Amino acid sequence: MASETVAAGHEATDHHAPPPQVAAEVIARELVATTIGASGRFKAWAWILGALSIAGIVALILKFIDQGDDSTKWGYVAAMVSFLLSVAGGAPMVSMAPVVAKANWVRPVTRIASIFSFAGIATVIMLIPLVAILPPLVTEGARRRTVWYIAPDYSPHFWTTLGLVLLLLTGIMLFYSAALPDFASMRDHSTGWRQRLGKRLARGWVGTDVQWRTLRMRIGMFGTFYFLILVFVNFLISTDFGQSLVPGWRDAIFPMYHTVSGFQAGVAAVVIALYFSRKYMKLEKYVHLDAFWSLGRLLFALTLLWIYFFYSSFIVFWYGRSANDIATLELLIKGPMIYAFIGGLVLMWFVPWWILIWNKVRRGTGAMVVGSFIILIGLLLDRIRTFVPAWSVPPERIHEKWLTVIPDTYWPTVFDVLIIVGGISMVAVIVMLMTRVIPVLSVWQVQEFNLLAKPIKYIKGHATLVAKPD
Amino acid sequence: MQQRRELDQVYTNRKLLNGQLDTPKWWLPTVVTLGLIVMIGIAVILVMVNKGLGVTGLARPVYWGLFITTFVFWVGISHAGIMISAILRLTQAEWRRPVTRAAELLTVFSLLTALVFPLIHAGRPWRIAYWIMPYDVARGIYPNIRSPLIMDPVAIGTYLTGSTLFLYIALLPDLGNLRDRTTGWRNAMYTVLSLGWRGNPRQWKMQTVGGILLSALMLPIFVSVHSIVSWDFAIASAVEGWHSTIFAPYFVIGAVHSGVSAVVTMMALMRWLWKWDDFIRPEHFDALARLLIVVATGWLGFTFLELTFALYGQDAPEIALREMQMFQWPWNGLFILFFLTAYAIPVPMWLFKRVRTNIALMFWTSILVNIGMWLERFLIIVPGLARRTPFVYTWEAYRPSPVEWTIFIWSFAWVTFLMLLFSKFFPLVPLFEQKESQVFTDDVMIGRAKVPAIVREAD
Repeated sequence: MASETVAAGHEATDHHAPPPQVAAEVIARELVATTIGASGRFKAWAWILGALSIAGIVALILKFIDQGDDSTKWGYVAAMVSFLLSVAGGAPMVSMAPVVAKANWVRPVTRIASIFSFAGIATVIMLIPLVAILPPLVTEGARRRTVWYIAPDYSPHFWTTLGLVLLLLTGIMLFYSAALPDFASMRDHSTGWRQRLGKRLARGWVGTDVQWRTLRMRIGMFGTFYFLILVFVNFLISTDFGQSLVPGWRDAIFPMYHTVSGFQAGVAAVVIALYFSRKYMKLEKYVHLDAFWSLGRLLFALTLLWIYFFYSSFIVFWYGRSANDIATLELLIKGPMIYAFIGGLVLMWFVPWWILIWNKVRRGTGAMVVGSFIILIGLLLDRIRTFVPAWSVPPERIHEKWLTVIPDTYWPTVFDVLIIVGGISMVAVIVMLMTRVIPVLSVWQVQEFNLLAKPIKYIKGHATLVAKPD
Repeated sequence: MQQRRELDQVYTNRKLLNGQLDTPKWWLPTVVTLGLIVMIGIAVILVMVNKGLGVTGLARPVYWGLFITTFVFWVGISHAGIMISAILRLTQAEWRRPVTRAAELLTVFSLLTALVFPLIHAGRPWRIAYWIMPYDVARGIYPNIRSPLIMDPVAIGTYLTGSTLFLYIALLPDLGNLRDRTTGWRNAMYTVLSLGWRGNPRQWKMQTVGGILLSALMLPIFVSVHSIVSWDFAIASAVEGWHSTIFAPYFVIGAVHSGVSAVVTMMALMRWLWKWDDFIRPEHFDALARLLIVVATGWLGFTFLELTFALYGQDAPEIALREMQMFQWPWNGLFILFFLTAYAIPVPMWLFKRVRTNIALMFWTSILVNIGMWLERFLIIVPGLARRTPFVYTWEAYRPSPVEWTIFIWSFAWVTFLMLLFSKFFPLVPLFEQKESQVFTDDVMIGRAKVPAIVREAD
């Protein structure tokens, strides 16, 4: 087939225009330069978010001192652990899944997605008091229903902690493995502490064939581990910190529902981070609208998957009408929780679905980022309506066959509000600070993107010729 | 992996229309043999309708047996079409092109077959009409629209209509091609069916847009069909082993596993029988096997969750059921066979590229998967009903009768028979897709390496 390369210089903001071709050297220089210096607005936000994060940690400590002996008061912290796991754990998957499918559009997105691995620190901090408060498997001589059929009493505590720490470490290793060539770029294109850091962390990277092969193998290996651990941790958090605390709540799809909503939130978080990076670091040349278009489609698909999983669970409870089913629905979606339930449903499915269904929206950035914020708010509400009622069941009742008394709803205190705001701020500030350490776009991935995708003239219009190496 | 071959249009036409413009020697004897089996099957169905369900092995408390298992199995197979054709079309997977027609066809014929089973399972099929239409308004007897007897036919009927339309729209360019190469009554038939196809830009645009729209519209139907079938079981809280929230996605992913495997079986047969080595290549089996590894492993995860949460409740009857399913003869034998054939044998084999590109091995492993997936459905449906329960004194062990086995075999012969009939009149590999793939693929030089590339038009 005859193909003719189109000259560079197309308008990058036009979705239909092929991406401009930029020299590899220019890419490295410009992207490394984005880490240097920060605007006054950036610094102000970093300070505010940092202060809120510290306030959240202080509130967590004070709450532990004040209410550490009453597990019914810890529902909001459990909801936050689940929420943060979803956002910080789900986002790095965006850098993995399309890579497996050899999608070229994802290359400029991978770094910002994998930076979220560091935000897992916030999840671990929130988990520490929760592990201390989670009731053991046997309370008052009776064993509650869990997935730990004959395991020791503190199995959930041990395995969840181990899983979450492993997820954090694997995420960081995944990030580091993929960042080696960029540390070398920092070594070669920056000065001062960044150059020293780049030299130290690049570990002699010069880009030989062997180094590239090893790099790809490591990314594949850590990516697979990361995915498996993420599913495992989602399974444990959703069962041990949610379902098994409610007598009679037996929902086989819940771990998958928790995981899928995590992926949805992860993509939403990546869209938000990408939007702000692109806008405030002037990266339009490298982050094309094509990336938002593809992320929009992914987000739309995950939104539909979420409602499918939600409905699959809901209809079986609704029509099952057994004592367990009725009591579980009574606890999780009735009383004051009805507002969180409806809010979660509307904000995680109906509104994003209605926004993302339009091609015009996915071809832009503004509505996409609004839709992503809405999804994250919806997720928080969904986690609250799931975990707060679950933790409100008194420990002396959690081994019963099903709920005989629906416990009162626990309303958030000032501590809980500070913990929620602090947790979210911590994720934001960690991502912001990481953009000062390493280019927010992967230099080598952007270079490879340019190398593998060539704009061509096709009949009367433009198209892209995308190479697909094995 | 992409094994691009330069094939000119004349060669493509001649090879891919060899089933319609010539008749392979094996075709007639095969169709006659299958036709005989189909006739025997229909005769047995008629005998059963005449004598009643007493000729089957169904008896209290096992009312759902081989028929419903086979119904669920064929609904599962039908998921091949949309999975392959619609999803891969939307995601612009280039390797889908020779596979789509066979997959869409399998959807239509397996749905037609699936619909037969609930009908004959009712014993007196004509009475189905009473359940669907209000016939006694005076006494307030209306059909219960929440009943599976309403929801299943609605879902399957919608899916069948959409799939047929999907198949037909994709056939249009090939029908135009056949019209221009035939004479007599065949020419008249293709003229009518091709709806005036000339291949002008507007027609191509409409055909492409129609295909994409139908792909997007069919996806929710694709998911809903097996979900609704699964809820036939899941909302029945009285039967142990059925009342699980995971059934809908579990059934859907199992159906995709089963359906895509059936496509692999069919692709291998097509390559061997019509000698389409240039069109159905090892790279296509490789891509399908990679897809199957992901789907099968996802399915295994759902199986794990289903079993885990069955035991999670720690209810004595549920645990007893699972013990029976896994440790009591003959259920344990079936369970082991199910696990080995659905996952443990094929998937580890597919991890090796040599297996993925070996068509004979792919053929046999894909058949293994469908043996396993049929057994999975049987193990979901029958043991829950068959287990001895307190205060139920009239029960017998379920053993499918020869009548049921004959009808079961009939269903396979029937689908194959329809496929072969179709192949006589319509190409099984879309010609236009094949030609388009020649235009949309290229090789580019990256440094010193020659790398396969594809053209991506602006969305």
